[in-house]
Amino acid sequence: MVQPLSGQAIYVVLLRELKRYWRAKARIISSVAQSFFFLVVFGLGLGSFVDGFGSINYLSYMAPGVIGMGLLFGSVFSGVSVIFDRQFGFMKEMLVAPVSRTSIILGKILGGAATASIQGIILMAVAGIMGAFTPTIMFVAGAFAAVGVMLLITAGFVGLGVAIGSTLNDFHAFQLLSTFVIWPLFMLSGVFFPIDVVPLPLQVAMLFDPMFYGVELLRWCLLGAGTPLLGPLGWLISLGVLIGFNALMIGVGTYLFSRAQV
Amino acid sequence: MTGKGVSYGVSKINNIIDVKALTKVFNGKVRAVDGISFTVREGEILGFLGPNGAGKTTTLNMLATLLRLTNGSATVNGHNILEDADAVRRSIGYVFQDPTLDLELTGRENLDFHGRLYGLERIVRLQRIEEMLEVVQLTDRADDLVKTYSGGMKRRLEIARGLLHHPKVLFLDEPTLGLDPQTRRSIWEHIQRLNQEKNVTIILTTHYTEEADYLCERILIIDFGKIVALDTPSKLKARLEGDVVSLVFKDPAVIVRIRPLLEEKEWIRSINVVASGNSYARMSHMIQMKRGMSVGIGIGGIIPGMDSGSIGGRGKIPKQVQQMLAKGMADENGQRGRDEGAKCLNLLVDNGGHRIPEIVKLVDEAGVILESVELHKPTLDDVFLSVTGRDIRDERGSFMEMARRHRIVQQARGRRIRG
Repeated sequence: MVQPLSGQAIYVVLLRELKRYWRAKARIISSVAQSFFFLVVFGLGLGSFVDGFGSINYLSYMAPGVIGMGLLFGSVFSGVSVIFDRQFGFMKEMLVAPVSRTSIILGKILGGAATASIQGIILMAVAGIMGAFTPTIMFVAGAFAAVGVMLLITAGFVGLGVAIGSTLNDFHAFQLLSTFVIWPLFMLSGVFFPIDVVPLPLQVAMLFDPMFYGVELLRWCLLGAGTPLLGPLGWLISLGVLIGFNALMIGVGTYLFSRAQV
Repeated sequence: MTGKGVSYGVSKINNIIDVKALTKVFNGKVRAVDGISFTVREGEILGFLGPNGAGKTTTLNMLATLLRLTNGSATVNGHNILEDADAVRRSIGYVFQDPTLDLELTGRENLDFHGRLYGLERIVRLQRIEEMLEVVQLTDRADDLVKTYSGGMKRRLEIARGLLHHPKVLFLDEPTLGLDPQTRRSIWEHIQRLNQEKNVTIILTTHYTEEADYLCERILIIDFGKIVALDTPSKLKARLEGDVVSLVFKDPAVIVRIRPLLEEKEWIRSINVVASGNSYARMSHMIQMKRGMSVGIGIGGIIPGMDSGSIGGRGKIPKQVQQMLAKGMADENGQRGRDEGAKCLNLLVDNGGHRIPEIVKLVDEAGVILESVELHKPTLDDVFLSVTGRDIRDERGSFMEMARRHRIVQQARGRRIRG
């Protein structure tokens, strides 16, 4: 499936995603608010009876996970929006143009990654304001690294969304998608509890969740440490897994999209 | 609207589209397009007329390289549709049957997106956007979100978009489907003007005979995937020499009785039974045509996609006709169902005017009550009836029926669009 890429086409699809994201203020506000509630209720509520881990208090522990949650939801739904493009006909406008489907879908993936990462950056700021992070030089460097990590995480999950969106044909499947894909990915990503304290079956399940590695990597960036289970090179393992996941998902998403019926 | 389309198949140089034995088979069995061949001259407006599922859109999709052909070949602007899809795509603009605008963007942004996708340089792009907005008279609404546009405005914007990259050929798939008669008029005018000013070749599909008649230099009647007629509207109509006399009966059962009597007359060349609702629709259409461009009371706007003309303008419509129109409409809506009783006989007669007394006498002597008699020159509806043996208005059905059929056809095809 080698098709010529068009930078212009990738850019214009990306631009459209950004414009649409910026217009949908209600969506931005509601998803930021949702993550904010998680931080407040769980971070402060649960945090007042869970001790935290070593020098890291519970709010700090949770914050990268909640940022990850925003990234996950934003990116999967952004990918799945190919269903809407199809439903509302705009997909045809893109497909009849003299550009390859690969260009279109890469634009879509980059656009989804960008918008979901903007979401992540907003959440990072919110968590920072709530005092989740220690403002040191190291942290500032880590925060920049975190932005890169966000793009990495989201690109793969937009790919997953595109793959799902290209396969499913109706809106009803949306509920199933949310319940059986997004929530398990989120809950097994180690947002609320560390992997090394849970029973083995759950540990195994978590190790199969790509989002777990995303959250790990965010913790390394923002808190400077990860789970003891993966050791001191946990960040490298996580990075490797994420890159592999990205390659797989972007590949599968592109393939399924290029075969999809319109 | 000249007869320049008659040089069909003569010169290759002027043929912007050349189709040879084009065939599309879905799932190995449904022959949606069945070996059609035709050519289109540069600057021509060609109409594909046919009922739903006849193969019009499938043909367009193949020519637009969205759908892979099963057999045959075709060139668009000199480019082979299989070998050089990108060049074909750059040569065409395609306004799809279903809306394909991004409602969350403004009109200008939709055009801008298109211009960028087709690789137009910034300066050219901005110029053309202004120009096209002007042409379709949307300049003052250009910066509003498309979701605030009316149906006609959206359609105009789509046409503008289809032309933004200066295609040599514009495909319009059912350009006025679901629009009210006034908007339909204005779209027609836009299409004609674009064709004349920009010398764009236009291929449009329609199942509105009046649209084909009004706009197209040549009409290609397609049925079950095959071309059944291809000529100028006037020549198509001239094929049916004589006049059409429609007899509407109060009691439909009498048709069986009266038909053999009529068949004996050698001056009656053909007899067809059509639903009388259709006759009313045709009458309303004739009234609309006579009154030309004047704005009328829309009676077609109740159900989108339903076809009927508009009446009004000069206020001379007899009450009876209005009642008939109303009745015909109810039939079309399907609210009353298709009353088997409401039938009329269409007779193709030499010198119809002179024969009416004779016909009336014949009917009278048979002891049959005639509700009304109508005489008209053959229309494209009659042409369609004569070449396909079916009434295009029957084929059309109500809007709901149409939507249902559309879905079924799509599912049956499981069609794939190439990208």
